[in-house]
Amino acid sequence: MIEFQQTAAAIYLAAGIFSLLGLALPAPWLGRLGVRLLALGAGVQGIAFASLHRMSPVPDLTDLLYTVSFSAWAAVLSLLLLMWRLRISGLTAAVGPLAFLAVFLPSLGGVPIADSGAPLLEGAVPHAHTLLSSAGLGLLGIAGLAGVFYLAEHRHLKSKRLVGRRLALPSLEALDKVDTAALVVGFPLLTLGLITGSAWLHASSGEFWVWTPHAIWTLVGWGIYATMAFARFGGGQSARQAAASSVGGFVFLFFAVVGVELLK
Amino acid sequence: MKIVLLGMNHRSAPVEIREHFAAEEMTLPEAVQDLAAEPEVSECVVISTCNRVEVVVATREPEGARAHLDDFFSRKLARGESLPGPGKLADYTYFHADEAAVSHVFRVASAIDSMVVGEPQILGQLKDAYRSSVEHGSCGPILSRLFQRAFATAKRVKNETQIAQRPVSVARVAVELARQIFEGLNDKKALMIGAGEMIEAALVALQREGLESLRVANRTRSRAEALAGRFGASAHDLDELDELLVDSDIVLSCIGGTGYSLDPRRVAKALKTRRNQPIFLIDIGVPRNIDPRVNDLDSAYLYDIDDLQEIAYSNAEERRREAVEAEKIVAEEQERLASWMVSLAAVPTIRHLRERVDTVRQQELERSLSKLALSDTQVEGVSALTRSIVNKILHHPLARLGAQTDREEGLAVVEEVRALFALDDSGAREGDGDPPE
Repeated sequence: MIEFQQTAAAIYLAAGIFSLLGLALPAPWLGRLGVRLLALGAGVQGIAFASLHRMSPVPDLTDLLYTVSFSAWAAVLSLLLLMWRLRISGLTAAVGPLAFLAVFLPSLGGVPIADSGAPLLEGAVPHAHTLLSSAGLGLLGIAGLAGVFYLAEHRHLKSKRLVGRRLALPSLEALDKVDTAALVVGFPLLTLGLITGSAWLHASSGEFWVWTPHAIWTLVGWGIYATMAFARFGGGQSARQAAASSVGGFVFLFFAVVGVELLK
Repeated sequence: MKIVLLGMNHRSAPVEIREHFAAEEMTLPEAVQDLAAEPEVSECVVISTCNRVEVVVATREPEGARAHLDDFFSRKLARGESLPGPGKLADYTYFHADEAAVSHVFRVASAIDSMVVGEPQILGQLKDAYRSSVEHGSCGPILSRLFQRAFATAKRVKNETQIAQRPVSVARVAVELARQIFEGLNDKKALMIGAGEMIEAALVALQREGLESLRVANRTRSRAEALAGRFGASAHDLDELDELLVDSDIVLSCIGGTGYSLDPRRVAKALKTRRNQPIFLIDIGVPRNIDPRVNDLDSAYLYDIDDLQEIAYSNAEERRREAVEAEKIVAEEQERLASWMVSLAAVPTIRHLRERVDTVRQQELERSLSKLALSDTQVEGVSALTRSIVNKILHHPLARLGAQTDREEGLAVVEEVRALFALDDSGAREGDGDPPE
């Protein structure tokens, strides 16, 4: 499993490098190669997850290795899906290296993250919590990344410092669509992750909520995204404000889910 | 065989001279066939575009061909009054031979020699000229090879440099900027404020992009209607500006008068109604039509004529820098074609040498056989032996002749072999043979 993860990580890194070269050089085929490598990396990582079921005993998915790695996989798959409709292959230049870090570093050694307040428990609910939360984190990560690209592109266009610029980034509209789509899917997944987390806790201790740092930070993160979704779809927020919110929201959520555990 | 070229372009002649020499589509094929029928002209291709008229010829006698080319320009192409006299034509034309002609054709195909460096149309025009010459039988193996290599050179230049990457006209710069804001333009609506020449030029560029709808708003409704009618757009009064602004993704303004026709308050109101969907505003009016503070609004991107021109100038400068890289590719490809031309020059010498030696072999064989009483099998054996000896002796010199790629050295070797074997005495000359593929 680890070998597959590390192979996928290496392919993601190569995808990022080729895509970056494709953006900077007059050779679009490099960018196309980067996207194909990203898809290959996702395939290899899929095999890595599938191989978990052949292990005996089947390892528990509720640890940092699988959480972060699964988030990266969800992010890569959602990006590949969005690429069918939008010209956003330039995002591979950032997603590739980030997916490499997210897959390779945890593969060096698993860190338990099971302190959601609930004790380790076998069954579908803990896994559903991990998978839904991780997928939500991955998609909101894509929203954050699209936000970073949006802010950079917006700044360039506003400042009119386009003379001599070589990087061909995706259009503002495409980046805004990525941001919106990732929020529309990622936020419900995060919400379901919180609900299944609460169900897991109730099944093990009879309580629906405990005041652990992981639970508090995640709840605040969820609240931020709920506010963002309202501002975006109900309050007429501009695309730039939405992009900035997505960046800030993801930084907070990543800290809540991963950073808090690492600091302990 | 030599390649020569006589031409006139935007640098050598002003438009009032060039326009008298633009080739007429109807009469050109006949004129080209007449030129190709001249004994000094083996093959020819005529290139005629807005900015250039050039005739490329493959010939064994460059001087004789030059006379025919001058005649072709002054008698077949020239028309109208106030033409330059026969002696004056040279002031407006250029003549290239050998490497210079090859290099020129490669530079033209790669758009290095174009008025707008890197423009893509010239390659298509060159392909049309070549295709027409092939169809009319005036293009043979030499010029076919030249033009195929020219197309390959243009492809390399396009792929390996950024010569054609950046737009250099204000209209194209605006379209490229719109592409950085919007994912696609075919579902976008554009509003033109004004009905002058600049608006018309912008409408041409935007219509090519296939926008969902085009609207023209002007003080004088009749002028808006006249312009809109030509582009399938709708015409509006300036009073409707607020409503039009709400569902316009691209706004281009070039209208006379003092004061701004669009200010931040008006644009902000429209943005609020359209739920902050971005608007790309292009102000090409002088004095400016749109308050520059509009650019401070989050979802409004405003560019004025200076902004666009600065990008266009910078891109043109970038293309000129890329042209230096393109020249290196042209030089490499020119060298490759020159090697082929050298090997071509050796073909008749190789063939002639073979014929000369084989004639000697057969004469000596017949003389010897007449003195010997040999059976048919023995005659066949001796004949095969002599062929084998001749082939082995000739193998090295023929291989060396065929392998020459350096033009100077190659021609020297050909001359040496011709002198050693006295090949010039029997009349076969360079260029008589069929070219190798």
